[in-house]
Amino acid sequence: MKKFFQSEWISRLIDALLPVFAAIAALLLGAIMLFLLKVNPIEAYKALWDGAFGSTNAFAETLVKATPLLLVGLGICISFRGDVINIGGEGQMIIGAILATWVGLNFTGLPGWLVITLSMLAGFLGGAIWGGIPGILKAYFSVNEILSTVMMNAIAVQLMNFLLRGPMIDPSQAELASKIPQTARLLEIFRLPRLAPTRLHLGALIAVILAVLVYILLWRTTLGYRIRAVGQNPHASRYAGIKVQRYIVLALLLSGAFSGLAGATQVFGVNYRMITDGSSSGFTGSAGFNGIVAALFGQLHPILTIPASILFGALLVGANKMQRVVQVPSALVIALNGLVVVFVVSSEFLRRRRQRRRLASARQNDESPPGPEQLKQVESSA
Amino acid sequence: MTQETILIGLAGVLASAAPVIFAVLGETLSERAGVINLSMNGTILLSAMGGFAAAYNTDNIVLGFLAGMLIGALVALVVAFASITLKQSQVAVGFVLALTCRDLSYFLGNPYMGEPGPRLQAAPIPVLGEIPILGQLFFRQDAITYLSFISIFLAWLWIFRTRPGLMLQGIGEKPAAAFIRGANVNLMRYVYTVIGGALIGLAGPAYSLAIRAGWMGTISGLDGIGWIALSITIFGGWNPSRAAFGAYLFAFLQWLGLVLQPVFTQVPSQVLQVAPFPLMILTLLLVNIGNAEWVERTLAAMPETTRKILSKALRAMRASPPSALGVPFESE
Repeated sequence: MKKFFQSEWISRLIDALLPVFAAIAALLLGAIMLFLLKVNPIEAYKALWDGAFGSTNAFAETLVKATPLLLVGLGICISFRGDVINIGGEGQMIIGAILATWVGLNFTGLPGWLVITLSMLAGFLGGAIWGGIPGILKAYFSVNEILSTVMMNAIAVQLMNFLLRGPMIDPSQAELASKIPQTARLLEIFRLPRLAPTRLHLGALIAVILAVLVYILLWRTTLGYRIRAVGQNPHASRYAGIKVQRYIVLALLLSGAFSGLAGATQVFGVNYRMITDGSSSGFTGSAGFNGIVAALFGQLHPILTIPASILFGALLVGANKMQRVVQVPSALVIALNGLVVVFVVSSEFLRRRRQRRRLASARQNDESPPGPEQLKQVESSA
Repeated sequence: MTQETILIGLAGVLASAAPVIFAVLGETLSERAGVINLSMNGTILLSAMGGFAAAYNTDNIVLGFLAGMLIGALVALVVAFASITLKQSQVAVGFVLALTCRDLSYFLGNPYMGEPGPRLQAAPIPVLGEIPILGQLFFRQDAITYLSFISIFLAWLWIFRTRPGLMLQGIGEKPAAAFIRGANVNLMRYVYTVIGGALIGLAGPAYSLAIRAGWMGTISGLDGIGWIALSITIFGGWNPSRAAFGAYLFAFLQWLGLVLQPVFTQVPSQVLQVAPFPLMILTLLLVNIGNAEWVERTLAAMPETTRKILSKALRAMRASPPSALGVPFESE
């Protein structure tokens, strides 16, 4: 029996490390590509490491990039656990940011802490609305959420372009011919406080606290349990008396809310204004998409998503430095990011398959009905 | 507006729908076999860039189109390998590819930005082109538009009127049954995904070598087309003729937006640009509403005659995906 537990333990460890192996494999493949381009891979990866972790500033920059990834990723943990594929992070970030910025620019008479709180709530609300609409469409009209969230992204981008070029444009830009689509700057007292003499801001801390809260929500509350139950088996959930539709909407709504918050923290912690180049990534830096990857890397677990977002933040920041130092084409950097993503996502599904096979063989090994221990395993793997 | 300008506009609608038609037909074939190719948005951009680059460098327009198809087929091969052989999530793999291909096209296409390149010329068909109205609409187009007309018919014929097409339906609906009937399910899925990918890849050059000749990178306005094509595939209920109708409807609405812009000058330009997206959500809603449980319940409570009419209308719009869509097949 002891031996069984040992092998069980080892194979769970392998599972947990699979994404790390995947990332290493991707980087090795990248090293081969670098070698073919006649660049010293060690030198290149050293530059990547230095760019991401080499100095206090570099590390702070990595964390700044990781913050929106973590926030979006937390939302993804909720929705993917509920078997709802939310690809609308970009749009939800934009709408959250628009509402938050509107609060920040219009309530100038109120004290700073109050406006910051209200803006963050506005961001949360904006994202919730933008995620809730596809949620309702999926739950009550069976509209595929992948498509509706993608379309909601496109609508959000145009709304942002309209507002930032029209009603919300920076008054000083409105007079210029260039008309850069951006809002006015936020008052000094409305900015999220910085945590160190770097660009690192309070948003990072909020995100980490929220990660713990999301963990509690998903595994220690009825709401979280039901979201996961619906994600695992909607039919069984229905027979158990869970209102499946309601939890589908909630999963998407909450997921959107976290992305909205990510948008709000970008405005109040990094740029101090909303600015774009007309595309969605011009504002979000594609965090709405990359957050999905971070969450998958973190095995859709809120706590594991913290290191996962830091890793992808580091890749984003470090790749820039690598490009400058060893003069590799940026296509390679893009390809490298893509490789890590593909490998990591693949490993996630490999992990699930291993888990299923293990459960099946465990069931064969002992014929007694699954005891509490095994149930707990199913529970934790869910 | 004179009859002449309307006719020119409508002929333009038929031409501008051609790339979407290819993409939708390709996706339909792939999904009929049970594989979702979610990479479509990136594939179209990459094949548009690659097709333009190939035609620009070789000065041969046909090679440009072939290069686009090759790119589409290669991306589809990755999707097929990941989903059929490795049994990974098609959604995850396809989505990642959609992003990667898009970024790659922007980077690799940089040297070709705004370069004047070859462009497919209109090729009026001698006798048919002289027919009033119909000739102007259908027979004074370019070769790629003619090809789009033909491929709608061929795809429909293949799926619904041939033996291999029947097998294709089986592979997507009941792969286990098709397997027993002697079909090599996974091989056929590979074949249809790659052929479908090649068709999707034809959409790119149809833009960059014909309708919007040239490569304009991020401002080419091609980003998003793939997602629209994906929803048109669903709107089309995995049926080529209905999907083609959806593509033409979409192109018509876009044209209407352009035509109406000078009329509604107070309306911000973004409203007309964004209009297709809420409209697509609305059509998805109409197509799917018949599947919702509460609709059935409400219908049951209605008086006999209204119920009959309404449920008939809903059934006509309704579309259900192939049952085994996105599910890996294991022969055991």
